[in-house]
Order: sequence, then C-alpha cells, then structure tokens
Amino acid sequence: MSTSVDVHPETTAPSAPRRPRRRPMRRVALWATLAVVVFIALFPVYWMLATSITPREQVFEFPPSFIPTSITFEHYGTFFETPALLKYMVNSILVSGVTAVGAVIVSSYAAYSLSKFEYRGRKSVMYMIWSSQMFPTALLLIALYLMFDRFGLLDTYVALVLSFMTFTLPLCTFVMKGYFDTIPTEVIEAARIDGAPERVITTKVLLPIAIPGMVAAGLFAFIRGWNDFIFALTLVGEDRRTLPPGLVVEYLGEFQADWPELMASSLITTIPVVIAFMALQKYFVEGLTVGSVKG
Amino acid sequence: MTMKLKERSAGSASANSRRSPPDAVGRRGLSQTQVALALVAPALLLYAVVLLYPLVASLWVGLFDRSLVRPGSEFVGLQNVQDVLSEDFVGLLSRTLVFASGATVLPFLVAFGLALLLNQGIRGQGALRGILLFPWILPGVVVSFLWLWIFNPNNGVLNGALRELGLIEENLNVFTSPWQSMLLVIVAKSWQTFPWVMVMMLAGLQAVPRDLLEAVSADGGGTLRRFWHVTLPSLRGIIFTVLLLELLWNFQHFEMIWVLTRGGPAGATTTFSVELYETAFQSFDLGRAGAVGILWMAVLSIPVWLFTKYGDRRVG
Repeated sequence: MSTSVDVHPETTAPSAPRRPRRRPMRRVALWATLAVVVFIALFPVYWMLATSITPREQVFEFPPSFIPTSITFEHYGTFFETPALLKYMVNSILVSGVTAVGAVIVSSYAAYSLSKFEYRGRKSVMYMIWSSQMFPTALLLIALYLMFDRFGLLDTYVALVLSFMTFTLPLCTFVMKGYFDTIPTEVIEAARIDGAPERVITTKVLLPIAIPGMVAAGLFAFIRGWNDFIFALTLVGEDRRTLPPGLVVEYLGEFQADWPELMASSLITTIPVVIAFMALQKYFVEGLTVGSVKG
Repeated sequence: MTMKLKERSAGSASANSRRSPPDAVGRRGLSQTQVALALVAPALLLYAVVLLYPLVASLWVGLFDRSLVRPGSEFVGLQNVQDVLSEDFVGLLSRTLVFASGATVLPFLVAFGLALLLNQGIRGQGALRGILLFPWILPGVVVSFLWLWIFNPNNGVLNGALRELGLIEENLNVFTSPWQSMLLVIVAKSWQTFPWVMVMMLAGLQAVPRDLLEAVSADGGGTLRRFWHVTLPSLRGIIFTVLLLELLWNFQHFEMIWVLTRGGPAGATTTFSVELYETAFQSFDLGRAGAVGILWMAVLSIPVWLFTKYGDRRVG
C-alpha cells in the first residue's frame, strides 16, 4: 500500500466523477459545513493568540470578551526577561539540534543500506526498527534512567540526546529510506560500472542527491525533539531542562497560572516548530505518509 | 501555503530496486553485503543501546523488588505482576482502552469527514489543508495548556460562552468530574491528531481509481453507492494502518494526560503510561513499574499480532 501517489489538486479532478451540472445548494451546504468545522478546529489557536495579547486585568474578567478590546505585548516581553525561560530555550535549541544532526547521519547510512542493497536480514532490520513504534516510552525510561545513572550521565545533555534517539532514529531512517527509494538504482549502478569504489559512490554520487532528504529528515527530528516532554522532565534537572517541561514547571504550580504569560510563552515555544514546518512544506505531507505508512 | 504531495516516482523506483535481480549486487560477492552491513551497523548499535536494551532491561526490573531511592534489589519473580493484577487492574486496563479507542475513533471520524469534504474539488484545498495542519505541529504541552485554559473553571472561555448562551447556571469544573476529565483528555488529544489523519485520508482518497467511480455513476449509482462500493474498499488498507498506528500511539500516550489532569481526579484518567510513570518516578517503586510494563506489553501484543498478520505487506 503506497500512499505516495501523484497528487496535483489543480490538474487532477476530484475523485468524485465530474458532474456536468453544479448544484448550488450542495455547494453552499459544503462550504457552510467546512466553515463550521474549520472554525471549531482553529478556535483554540485563535484563543491562545488573543489571550497572549490581552492586558492581564481583562484576561481575568468574566465572562471573557471574545475579541480583545485593547492590546499589549508585555507578556511576550516577560518571556525574554525571565532568565530561567531563556535558559530552557537555549537548552531546547541545543539538544534538538544535536539530536537532529546525529540522527540524520546515522540513519542516512542505514537507510542507504536498507534501500539500495539486497542482503539476508534486511527485512528483519526494517521490522525491528518499525516495531519500536510500540515500545512504550514510559517503560523505556526505567532502564534508560538506571543506565544513565550508572554512567553518571543523569542531568547531562548526553542523556537527552541519547534518549531523543529512541524516536528520531526510527523516524529519520524511514524518511531517508523513502527518499533513497525515489533515487533510481541506475545512478549507483552506472558509477559501479565505471569502477568507482563504494566510498566514492557514497560521498561523491549519493550524498549530493541525498541532501534535500537529509534536511527534511533533520527538520522532522528537530521538531520531535523540540516537542519532547517526558525525557526532559525526568532525566535532567533545572539547568538542562528544555522548554516543554520548563513551561509546566514554571507556570503550572500550586497557584492560578498566569494565563496570558503562559499563552505568550507557548506561542514563542511554537515558533521554531512553525518555521521548521514551513521549510518542510514540500516534504511534509510526503514525509508523513512515507514515514508511517510505507515504513 | 500550498502543500502538494510532490510527484514521486517512488512507487515504481522502489519496486524496481526491489525487483532487480539479486545478482546485480551479488555478482560482486561478499564485499557488497559487507558494505551494506557496515552502513547499517551504527544504526543497529544505537538501536540496541537506546531501544532494545532498555525495553528488555525495564521488563526485567519488573521481576525484582527494586526501588529508585534505596540500593539493592531482590528477585521476586512474578510477585510484582500479581500485586498489580490484584489492585484494580481491570480499571486500569479499561481506562487505557477507553482513552486509546476514544482518541483514535473521534479524530478518525472527524478527519475522514473533512477529507471527504476537501476532496470535493473545492478551491483553496491546499491552503485549507495547510491551515488545518496547525494543531498537529503544536507541541503536546502547548496543546494541553490551551485546553486547560479553555476549560478553566474560573475564567475559561467555554464557561463564559455556555453561560452567555444560558446553557449553564454555574461554572463547570471538568477537572473534578471523572468522566468529564476523561472526555477532556480525549478531546484534547483528538484535536491534536485529526490533521494527521486527515492528510493520510486525503492521500488515500486521491488514489481512489476514478474510472471505477465513473463506472458506478454510469450504472446509475449515487454518491452513497460510489462511496460504499468503490471509495471505502480502496481505502481499506490506509484505514487499517491509520487506526492501528493511532491505537498504538494513544495506548502509550503520556504528556497531554499528565499536563491536563495528572491522571486524576482520583485516578479517573490514569492510563498504563501514567500509572507506570507515577509508580517509577513518584513512588520510586521500579519493580512494580516494571510489572505494569510486563502486563502492558502482554496486552499490546494483541494489536501487534494483528499487524504482523494483516499489515506486513506494508513494511519494507
């Protein structure tokens, strides 16, 4: 079952057969339904944005007004004036970045092997890597915690990067394998016939072609690492904490949370992910389907 | 934001590489295989260290009386497993199943409906799909904050709206009601998941053979007939995969439940993952947490068996 089909919304007619006569009532109903669903789907996002720019005293009015009557950016300012939050952000960038680079390098070699070579056990390796989808993260955490403890790695960046590999390694391997599968074997075989050694084929022929795929896989890994909560909550303390557990610790204490500030901080936390997402646009849908279905 | 599935020759290219006679590679004998193994070795090593060993070792801990805060461990066999089984295991299992199936079925229905609507060839389909993906890319904790704030018992917009509409007299506090809390975590998780399902279903819908649809139309079949006899059967594979993956992921979902309810009130939203985490890292009872893991994997082996039986042609 491959979902990576040729899809051009403009050129491909909808899969419902072309109807010669348009029924206007149907169109209206269609659009009305869509409008309602889209509104419900996106209202929470709107509400996050609205709360983050509403002055504090208005936020805690009840009933709340749906459109902010006056606007402030002080809650965003607070984020950048809170040293703890800035530290979490730096940690997030560092750990997610290193994880992404590491995962892409290791998984690209593996994906090349899995995609372009025939050998016994290839399928088993694919199965094994795929099956990690169902290893419960919370369960892995028990042994990972004990392992890092034994090697004195608790509360280090190394612990975070290694634990992030539990999900980035399989993810990147499948994205990269999907990518290598699109590269015709002839490219490699031509080089082999020319007598090029494998190392040269890998670095001179394949690497340049593979770079777009590696960027996509890296961005995926970065997003997943950036969004991690459970590992950074458990394996490290205050100094190495990343943004997601950092926000929880900082804002969800015993007292009523400062909602406008939390909403502003949440949006700031989301920005890098959105940027990565935009950069991925071209690969995004494809990667989603390649990474999970074809995988 | 235009997002298209990039036109790919993936299907044919990968099929070719797989169908290519083995001697194309094998001609060069062992060295080719050695190269292939050398390339995959680092990934396998990493896999063993961060995935395979931790899985086995965590389950192994379940056979010991072992604490996180005091040294030493004693082999107790299946004692921990028996303890977990004797203390409302049925409740734990059913809460996990309710959450996992709820957070799988709800977004599936919404997303399938949306995909069908978007597939009607409306203008701006690509842009709409892009915007609708937004909930999916939000970090899980951010999604949780959002829903915490919307459902806030004092100042939440939901309470505000319901009171304005005159539907309620007193503010709702879903966090004190067991079933409302469960509903909340399901809704929040579904809201985050539906875009992914939608994209998958759209990709599947666009692969539905058009000539078949037209054939049914020519025979006088209406929308329902086309859907039932052509669309649905050709989506069978993707529906199976999406539901199964979702089920597997939801089964072990942790962060949103943790941030939204901490498994409460009074354990009403405590699933396997929350129970395991609390036992290990708040009660520091590693042995018992490992035992929860043992039972968890035993339960999980049912969908895994299903997948290997029916889903294997989609791997590799």
